Amino acid sequence: MNAINPETALRTMSYAEAIREAMALAMEADPAVVLMGEDIGVYGGAFQVTLDLIERFGPDRVMDTPISELGGAGVAVGAALTGLKPIYEFQFSDFAMLAMEQIVNQAAKLRYMLGGEAAVPVVFRLPSGSGTGAAAQHSQSIEAWFGHVPGLKVLQPSTPEDAKGMLLAALADPDPVMIFEHKLLYKTRGHVPAGRYLTPIGKALVRRTGTDLTIVAGSIMVHRALEAAETLVAEGISAEVIDLRSIRPIDHATILASVRKTGRLMVVYEGVKAFGVGAEISALVAESDAFDYLDAPILRLGAADAPVPYNPDLERAAVPQVDTIAAGARRLFRREV
Amino acid sequence: MPTEVILPKVDMDMTHGTIAVWHVAEGAHVTKGAALFDIETDKAAMEVEAPATGTLHHISAQPGDKVPVGGVVAYIYPADAEVGPMPTASGSGAEIAVEPAAADPHPAPTVQAAPADDAGSKPRATPAARAAARRANLDLADIAGTGPLGRVQHSDVAALVESRSVPAPAVWEAEGGALHVSHRKGDGPPLVLLHGFSADSQSWAPLEKALGPQQPLIRIDLPGHGRSPRRKIGSFAELARMVLDAFDEATRAHPSVHLLGHSLGGALALAIADTRARQVASLSLIAPAGLGPEIDAATLTGITRATRVESLAPWLRRLTAEPQGISDDYAKAAMTLRADPALQAAQADMAEVLFPDGVQPFDLRPALGRIECPTAMIWGRSDHILPYRHALAVGGDFAIHLLPGAGHVPQIECPDRVARIVARHMAAVTAAV
Repeated sequence: MNAINPETALRTMSYAEAIREAMALAMEADPAVVLMGEDIGVYGGAFQVTLDLIERFGPDRVMDTPISELGGAGVAVGAALTGLKPIYEFQFSDFAMLAMEQIVNQAAKLRYMLGGEAAVPVVFRLPSGSGTGAAAQHSQSIEAWFGHVPGLKVLQPSTPEDAKGMLLAALADPDPVMIFEHKLLYKTRGHVPAGRYLTPIGKALVRRTGTDLTIVAGSIMVHRALEAAETLVAEGISAEVIDLRSIRPIDHATILASVRKTGRLMVVYEGVKAFGVGAEISALVAESDAFDYLDAPILRLGAADAPVPYNPDLERAAVPQVDTIAAGARRLFRREV
Repeated sequence: MPTEVILPKVDMDMTHGTIAVWHVAEGAHVTKGAALFDIETDKAAMEVEAPATGTLHHISAQPGDKVPVGGVVAYIYPADAEVGPMPTASGSGAEIAVEPAAADPHPAPTVQAAPADDAGSKPRATPAARAAARRANLDLADIAGTGPLGRVQHSDVAALVESRSVPAPAVWEAEGGALHVSHRKGDGPPLVLLHGFSADSQSWAPLEKALGPQQPLIRIDLPGHGRSPRRKIGSFAELARMVLDAFDEATRAHPSVHLLGHSLGGALALAIADTRARQVASLSLIAPAGLGPEIDAATLTGITRATRVESLAPWLRRLTAEPQGISDDYAKAAMTLRADPALQAAQADMAEVLFPDGVQPFDLRPALGRIECPTAMIWGRSDHILPYRHALAVGGDFAIHLLPGAGHVPQIECPDRVARIVARHMAAVTAAV
């Protein structure tokens, strides 16, 4: 058998496996890291992300919590306050509504309420997004809600590599971090470096360079935007695709530099279009010196102004897809309204 | 409600003008925009247009009369208005109607502000197009937009800028001979003046006046400028050699001279001071070229290629800190001086050689770095042509005077200030010797 250097070999694994690897690495390295959540133990998690971790680390560190998100999140926040580094998994990000008090009023604010004497190093994992036929109460993309809360960090990994690196970075962060994982990405595969590495929080990444148009996207929309960008090449449109990665804090510099270069901006996100990530980024550009470089109106592509439909065709039509992203890009170049 | 007819400022450094001839007689009808009278300055004769339609009355300046700029020389009355005694001049120099005591049978229409929801005449343009138009000093209203709803986009502005910079045909023949040099005699070491691109020795007039009559001067017209022959220039080095020859010839009798250059002339002065270190007692540089790659080449080529006052005026306005620094009449006078197509072509070719692709390829920073003669640099903080930060490109034992409110031609915009700096600089050197 040939010796393979684990540092350099191309390691391919799924998004879910990458998250699991990050959790296992952290738990091996630090006994304070514990997992909490509904059905994450024996059942292996609603999306089989924790899978067999209960067998490797035992029920004391992989805890099935009762079916109360408010209670579970509260225990996680309390544990974090008193020295543990809990990772609390919501079965669906939609259920975070049940734990709003613990996330927004407690986790995000305790450092400030207690004059910096306390920290809440909790990580919330939230499977989110549409496309699984799970209907309006299990398909939302509510990450922008938490972008409005000072004291939180809000991340959206789009690749297995980032999913692992962001989780490890979240654990290294002294404050609460929310990671919105996309349900449709769990089975996507990609290269994941071995060992421990941290994906910097608050740093966007240019996934594709281009000269005519900047597309800022997050999570699964990065992949759709990249695919749309390829179809636009034949039409002479060179799109730059920025993977936002972090909603809070947001990477102003990378976005503004790109807009200054291309003069056109489209923001693609799965949350409802109104009052969302797109509004924030549009305003950011409009308020900056990059405004002078805009050569077309800014375009937002978000979800329809309706609860996510159950009907699969409507569900697909409700959020940006490859074809609608490409069409949006064309709108910024065509000569008619 | 008569309209004042004033003597316009057609020349940046003019304070008075002389009426050459009236084209319209007292009591005769005149149409707004028609030729009203001719004005003479040191540089050119200019036609002045009627500011209003009506009958001309109260002509107060006859041909040959010298009138201060802004002075009222006549009044134009509306066709059926009663002509009373000569009104008192408003003195503002603006077109201000003097309201007669009696009720006006023709009240001025009330000007209504455009309703808020009517973008009306405001051009539809993207921020990038607006920024580009601003940089090129173009009016968005003149640009046809190709975007949705006629929106002007960056590419529309870029296309217009491009079309305006089509190279002029080379219709000139290179001449030979020495550069034109003029002297003003006086005591002590003379000040050698090197003007900038597209200017000539006459452009020093305001500064010369501010320096006082006792300062001896030697002015050199650059090749293809002023009264110098239109010689072909292949490179900056070749130009510098040509000017150095003229300098040597003109200063043969002077073991010690002061040297002052503006813009391109500044770069040449620097080159001369570098070569004739023992002869140049002091060096003054106004917004010198050659200290960094950037230059607003669009303006330079715009000036050289303009064939009508409409296309020249926007570029001239880039020279000063404030666009109002250049009046329409001044632009007309400048166009008259530039009317010779051969001069235009020669200067356009020179711009192409000296500033290809909007870059200054010659670099005088090393020269500035090693120069030992006392040097003063003067730069307008609002210089749109050469950025004043070029002054900071090289460290050295020279003074930098940044003038607020001045553009690329501070010697014309604020000659007294520049003269004070240059005079003090020369005096300090003389005192030290």
